[in-house]
Amino acid sequence: MSKLVTSGLTKAFSGLVAVNNVSFAMEEGEILGIIGPNGAGKTTFIHLVSGILMPTSGTVAFKGKDITYAPAHMRSRMGIARTYQLIHPLENLKVIENVMVGAVFSKDKSLREARRTAEEICAELELDRLERDTTQLSIFEIKKMEIARALANEPEVLFLDEVMAGLNSDETKGMIATVQRIATERKLAVGVVEHVMGVIRELTQRVIVLEAGELIAEGPYETVSKNPRVIEAYLGGAA
Amino acid sequence: MKLKTSYLSAAVIAAVVIAFPAFLGAYPLNVARSVMTYMALAISWDMLLRSGQISFGIAGLFGLGSYASAIAVMRGGMDPFLSILFAAAFAGVMAFALGFAILRLRAMYFSITTLALMEIFRIVMHNLHDFSGGPEGIVLSAPIFGGNSTALYWLCLAGLFITIGVSWYFEKSKMHLALTAIRNDETSARSNGVDIFRYLLVAFVITSIIQGMMGAIQIQSYGFTTPETAFDANFTLLPLAMALLGGIHSTIGPMAGAVLLGVASEWLKLKIPYGHLMVYGIIIILVILFMPQGLVGLARRMLRGSDKSGRKAGASHE
Amino acid sequence: MANKRNATMNVALITAVAAAILVWRPTVLINGLQSAGLYASIAIPMGLILGIVHIVNLAHGEFMMVAAYITYMLCAATGMDPFVAMVPVALVTAAFGFVIYKLTIRQALKAPELNQLILTFGLAISMTQLANLLFTSQTRKLSFDYVSASLDIGDLSFGVYKFVYIGIALLMIVGLKLFLTRTTTGKAALAVGQNPRGAAIVGIDVDRTYGLVFALASALVGMMGAVFITSASIFPAVGSPYTMKSFCLIAMAGIGNIPGILGASILLGVSENILKAFRGTRGWADIVFFVLIITVILGRSIRGKKA
Repeated sequence: MSKLVTSGLTKAFSGLVAVNNVSFAMEEGEILGIIGPNGAGKTTFIHLVSGILMPTSGTVAFKGKDITYAPAHMRSRMGIARTYQLIHPLENLKVIENVMVGAVFSKDKSLREARRTAEEICAELELDRLERDTTQLSIFEIKKMEIARALANEPEVLFLDEVMAGLNSDETKGMIATVQRIATERKLAVGVVEHVMGVIRELTQRVIVLEAGELIAEGPYETVSKNPRVIEAYLGGAA
Repeated sequence: MKLKTSYLSAAVIAAVVIAFPAFLGAYPLNVARSVMTYMALAISWDMLLRSGQISFGIAGLFGLGSYASAIAVMRGGMDPFLSILFAAAFAGVMAFALGFAILRLRAMYFSITTLALMEIFRIVMHNLHDFSGGPEGIVLSAPIFGGNSTALYWLCLAGLFITIGVSWYFEKSKMHLALTAIRNDETSARSNGVDIFRYLLVAFVITSIIQGMMGAIQIQSYGFTTPETAFDANFTLLPLAMALLGGIHSTIGPMAGAVLLGVASEWLKLKIPYGHLMVYGIIIILVILFMPQGLVGLARRMLRGSDKSGRKAGASHE
Repeated sequence: MANKRNATMNVALITAVAAAILVWRPTVLINGLQSAGLYASIAIPMGLILGIVHIVNLAHGEFMMVAAYITYMLCAATGMDPFVAMVPVALVTAAFGFVIYKLTIRQALKAPELNQLILTFGLAISMTQLANLLFTSQTRKLSFDYVSASLDIGDLSFGVYKFVYIGIALLMIVGLKLFLTRTTTGKAALAVGQNPRGAAIVGIDVDRTYGLVFALASALVGMMGAVFITSASIFPAVGSPYTMKSFCLIAMAGIGNIPGILGASILLGVSENILKAFRGTRGWADIVFFVLIITVILGRSIRGKKA
């Protein structure tokens, strides 16, 4: 059974349709790329799936269960975690506490257990000096911390919204390896939004392409990148 | 080791404070009670503030507690001590019911609504002549414990200790993570399993229970109240100024602020009978402009030796 | 279309209610309109600040109180009429507002909203208490003959003076409308209110605009303070209820909707006077506004959720 299925998912903001009739499925262990020109509705789509926004119509199902209107915190408890395009550190909590939040509230762990989980995940992601304030972290470290926090939710489906943006090429390489490792080791279904096509080609087995809120193509990157409609969308967006 | 020292010093301070009646007269004990009441209110205000919600309605729950306790004794014949527990519970139930509506509000809308609720409580008590005594208020037949100043002091101290204990628990438990996450970034909190409404409701109910309890202790100690004294805006203003001066988002900050301002206000009251509250207004302004972390934050920074001004984290929402 | 029909329905409904009240208790409608004028003309300057600087000035009523005391001193010393005194008083409060903005508000603009609320709360306390210190809490009053002007229609006799407040409110609405749409400074202010960052990019000095708006709003509320003293006694805490009322009215009208403030004021003024008309409910008149404010805020938040 597919981990996550959307059917006819639509979101309109006072007339403007940001996501239009999108149906797709995500399978265990796959890394799925979500691409499209700026303003295509990628982030809105993730908001709908993670419960930050409620759809105008359509449905979302997780492991066969309808969760279309489930609140965000329930979805993270069920196993859908995500990061944000713009960083969202909890500034008044230490790095370790930031990561613990996921374990404490999504998995009902005690503070002691949560701390152990958080330490393990941070070690795995090579994030150290965990008693620091988040204001002392580099962008790369913040992105890792946010992935660590998402993983502390022990998700089955994970969305990474532009985690590579703002990283240098070494950091990007490291991040690609990390994402691949966590996806296989944890048998996650991972959805990644990225603008750098090299990253998408290397990281994903399959991509979906959104344009003006609509899903216009689906398949392996190599095939999709030759699709005339996709080329048109990107060129049209660039022109 | 360090932890043990701090527990030890807390125990010593507690012992000294409990023993105060042995070497203080009735007037200083009276002052101490007033300081302790404001301290408990300041801590309770701060506890909710840790979630980012500013209540301007402390006096509302405080006054509600006073009236619940007084009416239970006068009209229901309840034991005065029990009536304090009853008033605390009543404030909690009211907060629970109101919370369903007002905890959906944020920022200025929440603050203004709490202020308006306080005014509504006051006007209701002012107008329910037969039930609450109307503008003349309520006079109890006798203060609790026959007005014995030592007993009254200990009663108030007990209320304060409960408050400090709960606030300390908030700092050391999941509540700390939940409230800070809500204050820093609600979106992030939601995506990490925090049920925002539930934690806000818990914090609002608990802080209201504390405020109601302190109101009940107040009326049982003085033996009378009126709508204007029970819902006096000072019960909102002073705790707020105390917490800000001492340092918000902690237990120790409001405590330090309450001791400083509480004692200072007794002195100012004698020096400047009209307008001594101006000092509070000016303190609020200066602290907000120049020392937003309060005295405790200042002390911490000085201990650490340097100001860590790192990159400003751009926690903007999408 | 639906909106237009709604508006027509509302107008018809309001006219019907007003006619009913007029027949039933004419004084309720007259007093209601008179207090509505007062509420609106105090709330409009606050609405200007909220709409453009996006700050809730919890010391708004205190600005009026300070102006009223200045007027009191000026008139008591020179025998000047408040309607003349309002010019120098408005200048003084404009300068005062500008200084307060530069010294305090401006520093807190970038801080969290919490800091701004508490800051203006602190300003309110300081101003009230300063008045307490200088003038004690004793009430003060000036009397003028023209205030007691009244009109007899049939066996109905009522004071007409307070209709001046409705006039002032209308003048403010029209004046601000012209200022914000016809003058360069006004247009700039409007742009800053809608999008400060965008306005800065096209070269508008945002800080200067905020300072100007603060000064202008302070001048208007200062003028109101001068007029206020003609019909009411003053004391240090006289301003604070108007802060709350103003905020409530602005929230009812919707931030940025200045004419709406007058509409909201009429609703509030008439409802209060309906309760005041009966001995049994007179004491409850004050509650109307607090109930309204909560209903409005909650209503808005629920509608906001749905949108």
